[in-house]
Amino acid sequence: MKHLLIATALTGALAGAVQARDLTVAAANMASYLDPGRDHSNVGSQFYYNSFDPLIHKDYSRVEQVFVPGLATEWALVSPTTMELKLRPGVQFHNGATMTADDVVFSVNRMVQADFPPYQVRMRDRLSNFDRAEKVDDLTVRIHVKREEPLWETLLNLQQLYILPEAYVKSLKGDPNALEHDDYEAFSLAPVGTGPYRVAEFVPGQKLVWERHDAFWGEAAPLDRVTVVNVPEVASRLTALRTGEAQIATNIAPDQLALIDADPGLKAEGMLTPLFHVNIFNVNHPRLKDARIRRALSLAIDRDLLNEALWLGKAEVPASHTMVEFGDLYMPELTTFRYDPEEARRLLAEAGYDGFEITYDLHSPSYYTNDALAAQAIMEMWAAVGINGKISAEPKWTGNDPEMMVRTWSNPMYFADPFGSFGVMWAPGGPSESEGRYNTDAGFAALWERFRFGKTVEERKAAYAGMMARFEQDPPMLALYRPYESWAMTKDVNWKPQPGHIPYVLDFRAGAISFASN
Amino acid sequence: MLSLALRTLLRMALTFFVIVTLVFLVTRLTGSPVDFVLGEGLTAEDRQILIRYYALDRPLWDQYLAFLRGFTDGEFGLSFIERRPVAQIVAERIWPSLQLLIAAVSVTLAVAIPLGIVAAVWRDRWFGSAVMALAFLGYAIPDFILAVFLVLTFSYWLNWLPVMGNATALHFLMPTAVLSAALIAALMRFTRNAMLDVLGQDYMRTALAKGLPERRVILRHGLGNAWITILSVVGLKLAGLAASGSVVVETVFSWPGIGELLVRSAIQRDYPVLQFGVVAVALAVIVINMLTDLAYGLADPRMRQGGAR
Amino acid sequence: MTVLHAPAAPGPIRRLWDEADTVQRAALLIGLALLVLAVLAPWLAPFDPDRQSLIARFRPPLGFAGARPGHWLGTDELGRDILSRGLYGLRLTLMLAALGATLGLMIGGTLGLLAGVVGGRTEALIMGAVDTQIAVPFTLIALFVLTVFGSTLTVLVLVLGLYGWEQYARIVRAEAARLMTLPFIEAARCAGASPVRIALSHVLPNLVSPLVVQFTLSLSNIILLESTLSFLGLGVQPPTATLGAMVGVGRDFMPTAPWIVLVPAALILAVTFSIQILGDWLRDRADVRLRRR
Repeated sequence: MKHLLIATALTGALAGAVQARDLTVAAANMASYLDPGRDHSNVGSQFYYNSFDPLIHKDYSRVEQVFVPGLATEWALVSPTTMELKLRPGVQFHNGATMTADDVVFSVNRMVQADFPPYQVRMRDRLSNFDRAEKVDDLTVRIHVKREEPLWETLLNLQQLYILPEAYVKSLKGDPNALEHDDYEAFSLAPVGTGPYRVAEFVPGQKLVWERHDAFWGEAAPLDRVTVVNVPEVASRLTALRTGEAQIATNIAPDQLALIDADPGLKAEGMLTPLFHVNIFNVNHPRLKDARIRRALSLAIDRDLLNEALWLGKAEVPASHTMVEFGDLYMPELTTFRYDPEEARRLLAEAGYDGFEITYDLHSPSYYTNDALAAQAIMEMWAAVGINGKISAEPKWTGNDPEMMVRTWSNPMYFADPFGSFGVMWAPGGPSESEGRYNTDAGFAALWERFRFGKTVEERKAAYAGMMARFEQDPPMLALYRPYESWAMTKDVNWKPQPGHIPYVLDFRAGAISFASN
Repeated sequence: MLSLALRTLLRMALTFFVIVTLVFLVTRLTGSPVDFVLGEGLTAEDRQILIRYYALDRPLWDQYLAFLRGFTDGEFGLSFIERRPVAQIVAERIWPSLQLLIAAVSVTLAVAIPLGIVAAVWRDRWFGSAVMALAFLGYAIPDFILAVFLVLTFSYWLNWLPVMGNATALHFLMPTAVLSAALIAALMRFTRNAMLDVLGQDYMRTALAKGLPERRVILRHGLGNAWITILSVVGLKLAGLAASGSVVVETVFSWPGIGELLVRSAIQRDYPVLQFGVVAVALAVIVINMLTDLAYGLADPRMRQGGAR
Repeated sequence: MTVLHAPAAPGPIRRLWDEADTVQRAALLIGLALLVLAVLAPWLAPFDPDRQSLIARFRPPLGFAGARPGHWLGTDELGRDILSRGLYGLRLTLMLAALGATLGLMIGGTLGLLAGVVGGRTEALIMGAVDTQIAVPFTLIALFVLTVFGSTLTVLVLVLGLYGWEQYARIVRAEAARLMTLPFIEAARCAGASPVRIALSHVLPNLVSPLVVQFTLSLSNIILLESTLSFLGLGVQPPTATLGAMVGVGRDFMPTAPWIVLVPAALILAVTFSIQILGDWLRDRADVRLRRR
């Protein structure tokens, strides 16, 4: 933490910490609402970090999880299932109100004891172990969980638990002293938080304007004003950089990087996104019940070639559902996914594959970078081992369609733990199973228990290895790669995505952005 | 005359009602918004929660009545995605689209009619054909190619024009050019043909037979009756443009218009926005068509009687 | 005794050629060339249009640095041969356009005829449907149909056929209604001819000219609509190539690999050009009043 402060101070001193500077971002996607609790999309995640704070922050410049005080200054377990946190005094929300324990209790309970449907949906997948928050005094809260929680700090750092002002939310609609669903709806159009930038203007789907929040509790925002505009067409985004209408452009595909490299006024920054592009299989489809066929579908794909050709080699091809961000729980030693066309052919013959058509569902219009290109390449790779594949592109989500055979999806890392990536999607009774395309049994559930609630790292790792072994034998999915996402910007901008964030965050806090000296 | 107006009004009301009902049915029966949320981790239970939240579990008839009631009390509901009043969302976007439409139609009229006349009158000379060829290019190139091409030329390489949004007059130039391109081509052809028709008519032949030079005759008698047909075609094209929106232009130039809103809410099945938006656009189109038909009916006495066989 | 023979009258094709001006001759030749290319595509294409080569993506046409031998017009974003895809794309696009336009003609023409000849409530119903179709943005109609029934070629043809049937209906009905007021129709009716006979023998022949013109217009409109559908992400499924799909996908690469867009765009231009000119020509020939040349 000290290093961070010194580094920031130095950068600040050199570059002029508070610059009278405006910035415009040409974004491929703009949020339709802004509520950090309700949202877990890749679109929304771009925008919350600048305006909100969690109880516990991280050093986002590091891949490893290093937790630092946020709106809470200290925290300790007072019982195996209760954590007490001391809150930072004198924190001001964007509307001038001072943060107290009431706001924290409100923010947490609205999510973990949700009765508002959009919150209920979010609660289930990662907050289900939380019971409630209670106020001890104005600057002290206690948070209770149902059973011992190995991931306290990770979960209290979540975007879904960013702190909101209670009085403000209540006052928005109807009775100013009561919490109504309308209040939440209204909040998502006029959000207020504690972060270094306040939302000055928000036109859903179109435009977002941030202005510096002068009473921010931490280091002042380096920019006066940031405007984010929705520019869906990639040619237009890049052109906006050239005309000077924008300084940063999001979602630049690898194929566009050559253009940026050739331009002396532009540069690109990218990072390996903490998420996997995956292919999911419907294990309950009558024709795919035989695991050998699904293994063949996986083994036939040369992911390294896809990486070379479509990602200029910048993507990362994982051997298992694991990422370096998981720290101690990173398991590169596992081999769950690999390329072996010979074995694929053998398995197909063994299973008696007669050449029936296997449909590959794709979202259209294009949703994941390079998804259409990868899909077509995969059809060819399948054809090379004798699989008769056919692309079916439509705007509908077919993950819960019993006729679906194979389709594209992504498994983001919602927080830096395998539970926050693999866990959210593939838990017993979770989204995949309840869509009817994936089955778990008692054996898997037992492994799951040890993985989710195991007290030691070794215990959790062993359980995870067990689950990955099952995924290899009877695959419900294949992790293709971690995509390399790029942002283009004018040469004078010093900004790059930070490794400690969830995917796509546009971080403009102090230390995250500066401009080359004029 | 009155009976024609009445009949047209009736037809308009009926069409409107049919459209309102069709939009409702088709949107609701072809998939629910819960299907189009890119299934980022929704359990079956969650789907049910969201279905109840959007009030989609109420019987269809119920939902239809609620929708119709919206027309009487002005409450058309909240967008499923943005959770704010539908009327507000659509109103926000209609004005920029209207501005662009007016600009495009003005440019089209100002350019296409004179050029069409030129193409007709000087059809034997090279510039008559050249003018038609240029117009043709504007029509035959797919609009998004023209749009991207203009962006790359005038913004990217020459850096003369801005590419994002609708803030200044300069922002209007390229989007208007793209929208007008196809319109100009179509109207030019039509004007040229209408002009040729006029040239072939008896009174023109008489004038020409008297020995007056063709060009003078045209300038004197103008387009004659062709005016009405030209205007009715403009009306049709205007309606067509309003109806099919300008989703391409809005996407490429980040123009906050209604075309993109309609397509996006159609893809996401945001029923309230889609229903209201389509109905609003349909109303505009129907009105324009009605006016066009009336004008046409005024011009041609035989059409006034209608139905008399 | 000398026998004088009149010189043999020139054949119909020769006559057509003689009457045409330069532009029309060009259109005729181009149109024929395109037709030949489309029909012979499977034999002319040097590569399988769907054959990818992931290591040979974005290669420029022969003559430019980095070109790959054998690929005259370069390769696309998956290393497929542009020339081959262009030929097959032309073929598929022409087929779709022809089928779609024919479908529109049949639906619209029949309904318009019915409306014009029978009149009364039938006419009101049909014209009501026309009004409804016009008022609703067609892109949305296409979106719904394609989402529900899938983006297969069959559904696509259906959608393309739906696009513009109302134009046919309006034209046919207007012309039919006009003809119905003429004395000779009245006479035929008095003579006891059934509406069907009237429609087929008296009305239909007079419709050929405007229908043909509208047909040519439809063809180009459909081709352009197809490219808009591809822009929106509807349209044919990859890897199938139509000219519209190639343009739709290629637009992202215009600054770096413009040949991907230029080839199909040029073909669309050529097709549209020849269709329009030939359509105009037919119209001019058919229009009596213009014979005063």
